[in-house]
Amino acid sequence: MRGPVVRGAAVLRGLALAVGLASVTVTATAAASEPASGPASESAMRVLSIGGAVTEIVYALGAGDRLVGRDTTSVFPPQAAALPDVGYIRRLSPEGVLSLGPELILAEEGAGPAEAVEAIEAASTPFVIIPDDPSPAGVLRKIDAVAAALDMPEAGAALSARVEAEIAAARAAVTAGQSRGQSEGIGPRRAIFLLSTAGGRLMAAGSDSSAERMLELAGARNALTGFSGYKQVSDEALIAAAPEVVVMMAGDSTPTPEALFAMPALAASPAAASRALVVMDGLALLGFGPRIGQAIRDLNAALYPAEG
Amino acid sequence: MLTATDIHLSLGGRPVLNGVDFTARPGQITAIVGPNGSGKTTLLRALTGELRPRGAITLDGQDCARLPPAEMAARRAVLPQAGAVAFPFTLREVVQMGLSAGLSAARPEVVGQALRAVDLAAHADRLFQELSGGEQARGHLARALAQVWEPVVAGVPRWLFLDEPVASLDIGHQLQVMALMADYAARGGGVIAVMHDLNLTAMFAAQITLLNRGRVEAAGPPGAVLADRPLSRAYGTALRVNVTPPPGHVFVLPQTAAAV
Amino acid sequence: MVAIAHREAPPRRPGRPAPGLVMAGLALLLAVAAGVGLFQGAAETSVRAALWGEGASLRDHVIVWDIRLPRLVLGALVGAALAVSGALMQGLFRNPLADPGLVGVGAGAGLGAVLAIVLGGLLPPAVLAVAGVWTVPLAAFAGGWITTLVLYRVATRGGRTSMATMLLAGIAIAALAGALTGVMIYLADDRQLRDLTFWGLGSLAGANWAKVQAGAPLMLAVLLAAPVLARGLNGLALGEAAAHHMGIPVERVKSATILLVAAATGAAVAVSGGIGFVGIVVPHLLRLVMGPDHRGLLPAAALLGAAVLILADTLARILVAPAELPIGIVTAVLGAPVFLWILLRRRALLEV
Repeated sequence: MRGPVVRGAAVLRGLALAVGLASVTVTATAAASEPASGPASESAMRVLSIGGAVTEIVYALGAGDRLVGRDTTSVFPPQAAALPDVGYIRRLSPEGVLSLGPELILAEEGAGPAEAVEAIEAASTPFVIIPDDPSPAGVLRKIDAVAAALDMPEAGAALSARVEAEIAAARAAVTAGQSRGQSEGIGPRRAIFLLSTAGGRLMAAGSDSSAERMLELAGARNALTGFSGYKQVSDEALIAAAPEVVVMMAGDSTPTPEALFAMPALAASPAAASRALVVMDGLALLGFGPRIGQAIRDLNAALYPAEG
Repeated sequence: MLTATDIHLSLGGRPVLNGVDFTARPGQITAIVGPNGSGKTTLLRALTGELRPRGAITLDGQDCARLPPAEMAARRAVLPQAGAVAFPFTLREVVQMGLSAGLSAARPEVVGQALRAVDLAAHADRLFQELSGGEQARGHLARALAQVWEPVVAGVPRWLFLDEPVASLDIGHQLQVMALMADYAARGGGVIAVMHDLNLTAMFAAQITLLNRGRVEAAGPPGAVLADRPLSRAYGTALRVNVTPPPGHVFVLPQTAAAV
Repeated sequence: MVAIAHREAPPRRPGRPAPGLVMAGLALLLAVAAGVGLFQGAAETSVRAALWGEGASLRDHVIVWDIRLPRLVLGALVGAALAVSGALMQGLFRNPLADPGLVGVGAGAGLGAVLAIVLGGLLPPAVLAVAGVWTVPLAAFAGGWITTLVLYRVATRGGRTSMATMLLAGIAIAALAGALTGVMIYLADDRQLRDLTFWGLGSLAGANWAKVQAGAPLMLAVLLAAPVLARGLNGLALGEAAAHHMGIPVERVKSATILLVAAATGAAVAVSGGIGFVGIVVPHLLRLVMGPDHRGLLPAAALLGAAVLILADTLARILVAPAELPIGIVTAVLGAPVFLWILLRRRALLEV
């Protein structure tokens, strides 16, 4: 059985990108560079943050200097990458975590294994689980939970309000574009999200994936349905989907539009005719962190270049 | 005394033994001879309990099928035809295994004595796998010998079952091993051997069973069995005993060796 | 062709050390490994204070008593169980390359674990509440056992187990398990996929006293029972027929070996995932040093397997601290070159 699991590892590398391991273009958002606005908490000065979006929120709250460690998925803002890495979110080493001497651990939902969490809690280190729901409301709940755990209610409220406003503004722009399109008899664009094209095998996002949520938030429709999560899809299914635009994450293995649209599955698609390939930073696009408003705006602009 | 009555056995759906009767007495060598495929080895494997034939086999009055393996191991040792040894065991360790399976297990000096008996004392600490084919055959013989080292224990004979014990040996070691078997028998043990070499068989065996296509062609002392008619019938070619070849042919007979 | 060489004495085998000496050396190695494993780790810890209860901080107490010690004990047990299982399988199949995977226990355990990881969420909540974090280990153990029993049934006719049939059926079952695992990988979401990969690589990261309590009885029982089979496996080295002639209850030895291996490997895989190479390299190394006699080999394999796994786990814990490597990576990285070296040495030996 080892064979298939190891083969699965190649697939996993791609999926890891989807959950936020993507190499990040260095563009610090306004949030990250803003100074701390809330009063610094006296409690929990040594914080370990586990989960890419959680770490981003900690920095956005201005509490980045309290961090003593992070997990593998925490790669934004760039200074986070300099922190000690306690490994993958699902495979934490209890002793590794305790060795950083954290007074508070913020962990995105799904952190584990359970035995590690038990051992960490036995050392009476608070282990706060931050709910993870890939939706705009979920982002706000994440911010509230992190701010509460860090004892920074005011900074939390401010960040929450700002992100909420950014989402609302982005959504308003999206809706405006949609109604403009409707008046011209054009529906939402048919888009697909490709996780990986390695070896000519196309891994795409189906229903209930975070990529599909983002496509919808940005005013597009996922052209691929009938499966959930990220799966390898057949060439014929892609031809049948006839996408008007292809969205991918930035990375070393991202193909050029020429190479991508030379693939038989996409060569005949409307997207190929207009060379419509959108490449975005992975963590911003799929992380559902504080940069979500900007991400919706960017994706929308890239999806509808004419209206931009 | 070993008695087998009306032995029938099929291997892979093909009948190999068709009603064989066989008797062997302690104190002498009993040989099983016959052409290739006549069932010699199969008969020996049936007698050792390795195969379960139809028919009755008793060893000194006891039903072999009912004796547990450990009890059988104390009463008889077996030298199979070819035995590859897995893992780098030394010759000494292999002989030691035989010794520990028998009644002399508490006498470690038997290992050396058994190796001397087969002329391998100098090779005791070599890896079994590194020995030549003939040396390996004698090594296995030493192992079997160590298992039933005393030919008679408490008045009950021990038995050696040997499948072609001299097949891969040079003529010198052939005679040595045959003498060893004869000595074991002379001291009261039973020896049953599948043989190919009819001359050696004639020299050392007291009783011979000649098999032909799974049946007994002839059985009795060498003079009766190794005769023109039964041999010609069994081997499918005209054979004549005690006739020297025409002048000009060279032949070497073990019978001409100095007393061993 | 035979008699020519026999009178001149060939070079004697370089003397093998006495088994007692080897055993003492291995026990010392295990003690050192345990010491290193206990005192080394990602966290600066006052181990002595925690051990003797002299005012150690709660954190140090937890690190020593709830993290390092159970991990040490579990590592020793798993290492010993894997090495002894390997030695048993090699003895049974008369092949130094055999490993417990040959009786399907690896494939079955893997499939069980994968099923539990991917489909575990579909179990009724009541079952999940009872099984809890044990769902995956239990499924792995059950998978290993069921596969082994099926293979055993397939290979056994009229009271005789055919090793060749077992080997071939094992390949078929492994292929089937591989295909089902592939289906599960297709169904899995990204987090489950990550879990699958890590499970396949093995780790002692989840060690705690509950796991020790669950796995120890079975593994200890097998470790204690294995030496009983030593004489039988020695005999099997001469072939099944020869073993039978030497009074060894061959069929009983074979079935006992298979069941012991399934129990030990199943338990080890259940608590630590798949850890490769220990079962092949450890017995092989010991055969080179002390010879193949199973009476010494089996206890020595337990000692060396335990020491090797503790050391490998210590490396896994400190190399990329505060994160850690899956231990299967460490054993493979260390084991594969050693294994190649052994093969090269062996070939030189055979070609001389």
